[in-house]
Amino acid sequence: MKSKLKLALCQIAPKREDKTANIAKIEELAIKAKAAGTDLAVFPEMTLTGYVLNDQVYGLAEPIPGPSVSKIEEVAKQTGLHIIFGMPELSDKAQATVYNTAVLVGPSGLIGKYRKMYLPTHSVFEEKRYFRAGYEPAALQTSLGTIGLTICYDVFFPEVFRMHRLQGAQLIVCISASPAVRKSYFEILTAARALENTCYLAYVNLVGIEDGLQFWGGSRLIGPMGDVLAKAAYDQEDFLVCEVDLADIRTVETFVPTLRDLRPEFYDKLRVLSEQF
Amino acid sequence: MKLTPSVLTIDFSETQTRICRFIKEYVKNAGAKGIVLGLSGGVDSTAVAALSSLAIGGENVLALLLPEQETFKQKDIDDAKTVVEIFHLQTVTADMTEVLDGFYRSIPAYKETDRLCKGNIKARTRMVFLYYYANSQARIVAGTSDKSESYMGYFTKWGDAASDITPIIDLYKTQVRRLAVHLGVPEELAMKPATPSLWPNQLAESELEIKYETLDLILYGLERFMKPQEITEQLGIEEAIVNRVQNRILATEHKRRMPLSPKLGFRTPGNDFRVPRHSY
Repeated sequence: MKSKLKLALCQIAPKREDKTANIAKIEELAIKAKAAGTDLAVFPEMTLTGYVLNDQVYGLAEPIPGPSVSKIEEVAKQTGLHIIFGMPELSDKAQATVYNTAVLVGPSGLIGKYRKMYLPTHSVFEEKRYFRAGYEPAALQTSLGTIGLTICYDVFFPEVFRMHRLQGAQLIVCISASPAVRKSYFEILTAARALENTCYLAYVNLVGIEDGLQFWGGSRLIGPMGDVLAKAAYDQEDFLVCEVDLADIRTVETFVPTLRDLRPEFYDKLRVLSEQF
Repeated sequence: MKLTPSVLTIDFSETQTRICRFIKEYVKNAGAKGIVLGLSGGVDSTAVAALSSLAIGGENVLALLLPEQETFKQKDIDDAKTVVEIFHLQTVTADMTEVLDGFYRSIPAYKETDRLCKGNIKARTRMVFLYYYANSQARIVAGTSDKSESYMGYFTKWGDAASDITPIIDLYKTQVRRLAVHLGVPEELAMKPATPSLWPNQLAESELEIKYETLDLILYGLERFMKPQEITEQLGIEEAIVNRVQNRILATEHKRRMPLSPKLGFRTPGNDFRVPRHSY
């Protein structure tokens, strides 16, 4: 496990429904990330296909492992990088059951995946119409350390991040497709999730306009005190190199000892109250 | 939530950025050469003209001035020309009087006294002119409806509502007025009384029987699921006014949707056949 990690936050506007073009873009930026000396390149939610797919999602989703993941595994092998990206995942046990998934590949191939737990289905979002929700947190063991994967709307649910943190993730990645009208919520919540868990949080958002939906970018690395350590441009593609020093968490855990102060005896009550709500 | 005028305050720079990006992206993705819109000299079309100009350059924005004898007002033409000048727009003036007379003469059931039917012919004829220029010059038609008028159904179905994009449809009238000033539109023009110009001396607020300042607050409350009684109490107005607004929203929903169809097949166009727009 490395104490210092260099990240490349690859804030892109994928070409909708064009996996070949988007894989080429991932490869292009992975090469750039390698040249910049980074360990991990992070791409936004649904990088592989674009976010607004509607019924097209059934034709675009792929199993994991699958053909597109294999191609990105090859990019990871060639560059020696770890790469996180989003895609619609086709269940290997069904024919049209799809998940909104984050994938982590490394130089040795596929490391793991995370299926989005909280699917927004309100306002302009209709994810439950198309996706099945995930059930498992994914704090994945890598040679870089334990990395937690989350997706977009998960950020409104502290328990997702807490589960990843309790599984040992000191760096949690949140890939996103957040439209501009919700910018302020994400700017607040990403900082809150990092601070309350005393961990690093790398947030990578889409940019571009899909079917009238404008994604605001603003990808960022947030430190364990909730401070924004690096921030990408708003509303345009950007490539941001930033550094995580996991050793800094030690100090913060003494100053903001939320993990020490956890009260698991309340959680049963929380579950009951949630069920009765 | 307190329903005071301040709830309608928006970040004008952010709004301008969002709308301009939207216009620019749409024109680019469509492979279009620019925008065409009908410029009436009113605040809505002025705001859309200004935003289009700021997004893609005035040389790529064609403003059609479409006067006709019955509702002709030199002041409106002068105002439109002021907007053309400020935002460096391309412009064409086409007098619709003759075409409209042709319609009136050619429709067997036409009644001069039915001013609504007659007025709707005008709105739909404007649309025909706009789409002629859109087709012949590879332009996108920018609609100029605002949120207040859209909610109230205060537009002509397939007339002024017919367009490829609606850049200000999510802004209330009072917000459009203030945005227009922010964009550099003269205050007097931005604040001038709204009219669809379907017949002489037609004024929006008289027809809607409410001031936009009040209407927008009612609509804002209803948009956020406030109960009519709560809106009534907060604004100190009669509940019947709020109920009338709410009923009008419901009664005019058909104007804001694609045509209703019986569900027969597996996936139905305009209903549950859902795919993103692939070309424009």
